[in-house]
Amino acid sequence: MEDIISLKNINYSYYGKITALKKINLSIKKGEMFSIIGLNGCGKSTLLHIINALVFPDSGELIFDGNPVTEKSLKDSGFGIRFRQRMGYIFQNPEIQLFCPTVFDELLFGPLQLNLPLEIAHERAEQTLSYLGIGNLRERPVYMLSGGEKKRVAIASVLTMNPDILLVDEPLSSLDPKTQTFFIELLLELNQAGKTIIFTTHHLDLIDHLQPRVAVLSEEHTIRKTGTASEILGDEELLISVNLIHEHIHKHGNEEHVHSHSHYRFHKH
Amino acid sequence: MENKIPPYLIKIADPQYDPASIKGAKLSFLDKTILNSSKAVKSIYLQAENAAKDNFIQKINPTIKVISLIYMAIVISIVSNLRTQLIITVIIFLLFIIARLKLYEVYRKILFLAFIFGFLVVLPAALNVITPGKIIFNIITFNKPSHFLIYNIPQNIGITIHGIEVVSLVFLRVLNSVSFALLVVYTTPFPSFIKSFKSIGVPDIFLMILSLAYKYIFILSRTIEETYFAFKSRLLGNIKNSSIRRLIGGRIFYIFKKSMIIYQDTYNAMVSRGYSGKVVLHSRNHFTVKDVIVLMVIVISGIVLILF
Repeated sequence: MEDIISLKNINYSYYGKITALKKINLSIKKGEMFSIIGLNGCGKSTLLHIINALVFPDSGELIFDGNPVTEKSLKDSGFGIRFRQRMGYIFQNPEIQLFCPTVFDELLFGPLQLNLPLEIAHERAEQTLSYLGIGNLRERPVYMLSGGEKKRVAIASVLTMNPDILLVDEPLSSLDPKTQTFFIELLLELNQAGKTIIFTTHHLDLIDHLQPRVAVLSEEHTIRKTGTASEILGDEELLISVNLIHEHIHKHGNEEHVHSHSHYRFHKH
Repeated sequence: MENKIPPYLIKIADPQYDPASIKGAKLSFLDKTILNSSKAVKSIYLQAENAAKDNFIQKINPTIKVISLIYMAIVISIVSNLRTQLIITVIIFLLFIIARLKLYEVYRKILFLAFIFGFLVVLPAALNVITPGKIIFNIITFNKPSHFLIYNIPQNIGITIHGIEVVSLVFLRVLNSVSFALLVVYTTPFPSFIKSFKSIGVPDIFLMILSLAYKYIFILSRTIEETYFAFKSRLLGNIKNSSIRRLIGGRIFYIFKKSMIIYQDTYNAMVSRGYSGKVVLHSRNHFTVKDVIVLMVIVISGIVLILF
């Protein structure tokens, strides 16, 4: 499979002082499920921002489908529009992503910008409402939705643009268990439908569920290792060194014991 | 999944739109807003970084600095001698060098403020209409002197030597006051400032508003930035600038609503942790011999400058 996204020697810092990413090299293939894992503050979300060309690196190169992505190339309206259409970003906080008066307007926003005929845009919005089980929210103002509903609407608003690539920042953040399960199944199904999925997380059980290819970001803001889900989950030494697993006390009935590794890996629950 | 995936999502290359028919959205005004918002955070970050430097001026007790600021503001306003004001300017400049601050960044701000409030505002005082004296640069000549309401308008209007002295004095006073204030601001961590204000008797409610406002800048700029990214990620084009402004108007409402909720929550959190309207701060601003010496030097210098 050919690379859809390549990052070459990316460096990024805030205000030129605080390092966020250091010498990042990555290649993501078309139709791949790919995850970036690491602790809070290691640069996962910044990396997604760079992939979506929301911010630009201090140095290094972002290649999308064989074309370099720069501030200049995005100003070429043909390339810029195609880039934004083909890459959908689901933010960690759905609230910031929703800005239209009602849920239905939110779903129509993307297709109408793409100049799709109104009937097709309506059809897409209706199908997506039904697919995500939010038909009852159709005319609801966004600010009257619960956290889980907002997340579903945020996903729907991106899906109606039919992007090839979905960037998802912390998919399970602030979701109840039922919505988490829904989201996991959705990502699997969209990936099976041919979408490239790139997500960030620090939940190792999500890696086990989705079996993506994984890049591990360290607290030094570099990529420590890239590999399959089983290679990464099996490398206990690596996960300890990047602080994704640690020793903790655990209780089963009256029995207490200490794990020196991931609770998930130890008990599989 | 309970429901079937919509057929359109299975098509990877979406044939139903034509990129050529879409005009790029103009987001330049948004870019500028974000740029300014991030600049505000950057300047706060720089202030915090400068204040944390292990340096003689940075290490002076913040309460001494606040007292010195008030004292020096009085001294600067009393001194009515141009030469003494210039000496104060040089002394403050040297203090900036000792504090190892970025002179270009700081003096750009100082000169801008001094130019607006110390020069442009008082510029008319250079004219003989306001400050009588010998004209050294004639601007306009009338046929004869005239009288308008309570004003006597002389035949010649121009800049006088005494007028220039008045403008220069006001300019230097503003320059020195602003630069001394910024010297204190840039070399003192914000939380220490709050504690110092409390120790000199500033009311608690004022300090609380000040602290929350400081926190608000960070929350606001972060929210603006996130909102902007969400826009940028979904705005393809084909949308009028007026529509973008309407959407942004809605977002501004959202930001204010969100900040209101955050503050309500913050207040509730404060109440639940025992806040009852009085701020009890633990103070680590202990005075050392060095602080007392610094205060004495400043007091004596002030007296000398006034008498000079």
